[in-house]
Amino acid sequence: MSVLKFTREQFENFVSAMVKSGQSVMAPQAKNGRFAFGPLQSAADLRLDYDVTILPPKKYVLPQTQTLLEFEVGGAFRSVDSSQPMILLGVHPYDVAAISQMDELFSQDQYDKHYMDRRCKMTIVALDVVTPSENVFASSMGTATVRKGYDLLLTVLKDGSVLAEAATEKGQQLLKLAGSSTPASEADLSARKAIWESNEKNLDKHVLKCKPSYLPKLLDHSYEHAVWEEMARLCYSCGSCNQVCPTCYCFDVQDFVNWDLKTGRRQRCWDGCLLENFATVAGNHNFRKDRAARYRHRLYRKGKYVPGKIGGQIACVGCGRCITACTAKIANPVEVYNRLMEDTELG
Amino acid sequence: MSKPRVAIFDFACCEGCQLQIVNLEEEILDLINLVDVVEWREAMSEQSHDYDIAIIEGSITRPEDEKRVLLIRSRAKILIALGACAATGGVNKLKNNFDMKEVRQCVYGKDADLPHLDTYPTKAVDEIVEVDYKIHGCPIENSEFARVIRALLLGKRPMVPDYPVCVECKAKENVCRWEYGETCLGPIIRAGCGARCPTAGFRCFGCRGYVDNPNVEAAREVMAKYNLTEEDLKTRMVLFGSKQGPTL
Amino acid sequence: MCECCNNHKNDIYLPQLATITKRRMLNGTELYLHLEMDSGKDLEYSPGQFVEVSVAGIGEGPISISSSPTQKGLELVIRNVGSLTRVIHKLEVGGKLGIRGPYGSTYPVEQAKGKDLVFICGGIGLVPQRSFIRYALDHRNDYGKIIVLIGTKCYTMRLFREEIALWQQRKDMTVMETIDEAHDCWDGNVGVVTTLIPKIESDLPSSLVMICGPPVMYKFVLMALAEAEVPEDRIYVNLERRMKCGVGKCGHCQINEKYVCQEGPVFRYSDLALVPEAI
Repeated sequence: MSVLKFTREQFENFVSAMVKSGQSVMAPQAKNGRFAFGPLQSAADLRLDYDVTILPPKKYVLPQTQTLLEFEVGGAFRSVDSSQPMILLGVHPYDVAAISQMDELFSQDQYDKHYMDRRCKMTIVALDVVTPSENVFASSMGTATVRKGYDLLLTVLKDGSVLAEAATEKGQQLLKLAGSSTPASEADLSARKAIWESNEKNLDKHVLKCKPSYLPKLLDHSYEHAVWEEMARLCYSCGSCNQVCPTCYCFDVQDFVNWDLKTGRRQRCWDGCLLENFATVAGNHNFRKDRAARYRHRLYRKGKYVPGKIGGQIACVGCGRCITACTAKIANPVEVYNRLMEDTELG
Repeated sequence: MSKPRVAIFDFACCEGCQLQIVNLEEEILDLINLVDVVEWREAMSEQSHDYDIAIIEGSITRPEDEKRVLLIRSRAKILIALGACAATGGVNKLKNNFDMKEVRQCVYGKDADLPHLDTYPTKAVDEIVEVDYKIHGCPIENSEFARVIRALLLGKRPMVPDYPVCVECKAKENVCRWEYGETCLGPIIRAGCGARCPTAGFRCFGCRGYVDNPNVEAAREVMAKYNLTEEDLKTRMVLFGSKQGPTL
Repeated sequence: MCECCNNHKNDIYLPQLATITKRRMLNGTELYLHLEMDSGKDLEYSPGQFVEVSVAGIGEGPISISSSPTQKGLELVIRNVGSLTRVIHKLEVGGKLGIRGPYGSTYPVEQAKGKDLVFICGGIGLVPQRSFIRYALDHRNDYGKIIVLIGTKCYTMRLFREEIALWQQRKDMTVMETIDEAHDCWDGNVGVVTTLIPKIESDLPSSLVMICGPPVMYKFVLMALAEAEVPEDRIYVNLERRMKCGVGKCGHCQINEKYVCQEGPVFRYSDLALVPEAI
């Protein structure tokens, strides 16, 4: 498909048209010195130069709390559809990769319509990274750039102009909102290619010492390694690493009743496998009681378990959010995997 | 079916948590539809000894309070400790760091020895009688109070979070207070407040008490990673965490 | 909009209502329920599977199916351990429950044909095992010997007493019972369930052995079976975990890479060799 070029001003007009389109537009904006996705009110608030958002855009595909059902107490249930058209604007490639993984996980086998209905009404506008964040390691994970999983891809060139390429019908529809633009020149395309090549190398604040595809095999031999105890000794079990992770999708389900005590709703909300009672059953038996076992479980899920469900894709996309979010500074997956690499090689 | 009878009592506290109930505003009417409030000094003049649910705000700081709590417990089917003072001892436990005589002199000066000003080290309600449910916080979240009451009326055990404030703080997408160089207590303090303080731009003061199994050992070492000392952490914890189980 | 939105897929989280048609307490904490689906259509399930049981407003939890698909309706046994089960215990005949499922793996009812079956049950572990036991009794000619070992903590906790008494009268099956703690009204075996294993009169290594009980029981039973040289691919364990969603999404029931709600709760033991979190 053809690539369009927008000047800074033309692009702002395009964004303004999105904002006025009636669909909600969620986009990265400044928040207390960092960045967060939020409803975009004005094109001027959009920060194409953001490094990373505190939470990933998973909060729109799998909201922190989502009503699944409504019910009459002690009686019947009704399915609730909370989906609505939404434009997710400015999603970095690693977050696109994460959403693609979740699409697969929620649609495979048992089709989760609460996730998929939202997802299907969503237009994803990807954005190549302009400013690498302090802990990004997408270069190591093969997620510094993406070629699928989005509807439209934006790339900001050095002069501030923006290239846009639609990948799907939805992306083309979105482009219809744009006013004037010009076709990208050969030189523009070379510039874009250079940015891709640069990002594939330079989103590397941490460097994994093996190919990501080797992780499942590495973890096959690392279950009893001392690193789990050593790291988890400082773990608060606060689940921050889970919360900020774009590929963590575990959830809890709870019922809430209204004041009439007759009606209510069943909601799911984010949960995290690092939290103490994640695996506790009624009667209070906790099947994953040790901090170290919970700590290990997360890194096994990322490197082995979830990949087993999605054709080998590694469920860590290198956004580096967990590294920043962990108060105890023990969440860096690269640090752990490299440690295992070293010791396996030695052994 | 007759409505459950509810009585609300206060001990050593500022009554702010009861005020939080009043702050439910229109929802108070929903509450009154479901229960009969038979005693509530802050809001009504009637008294009753016949109740199903007793709600206690405040800490126990005098021997005679202890007798009253025992009496309330014997009359109530369900006993709820309301707010930090009742649930953990809260701010009132600050005084347990000192000699009681010194405390009395500091507060009452020359009257310190008057018999009605007698005091003993602060206790949370569950240090005297069995408490069925705790509603944490200083003050409580009235939405949590409402949720707990509705659950109890349905015969359901209310969910009290046993995970740290960080969970709710991250969900709110706050910038971590530790990134500002603050000694936030979020990682070891029980959630349920919706990370109210960090969301408003303050560190967590720990008013909801510790999670059941806080990693206090980790806290010690993590302080060093931020060029802080154990002493720095202790001074932050003393306000709401004095003389509670897993302190440093 | 894209194609999938138009598919009107079913909501996997939406329970169907069922009505309680019979109820009785089996002991101080275990409630037996017989349910019929309000749709009028019986659930299609196999022995070993479970359902997600809801009371709207209280919550939802996994409960193993105790009846056999050869009988009408659905039988569950529910221990009073939490909010949900406490409320279920208060429901009368005519009360409504939400049901999703059936979910999970099944006992090897087909592969087991022609073989001797040994069931080792600890406590409420008897509940899901009963599904296969009844199924096998209803297809009696398909299977070899049927041997049932039942261990219960104390005399008063014993489940399905009348039914076990009837089983014990049958000539075509063997039932051995034991209780952990001696009791004045009990003149049978005393000791944990593993003490019954040496008493089995069957060629154990060629039998299929089904185990279900409290978490602590598995290790000891498996040790005893290893000693008796039962191959691991002839042992089936039925595991309990926090199967919150039942459909392989929520993550709570995972043991290493396996979702118990999908690949379990019934596992062939040899398939758990690389699943250290299982036992």
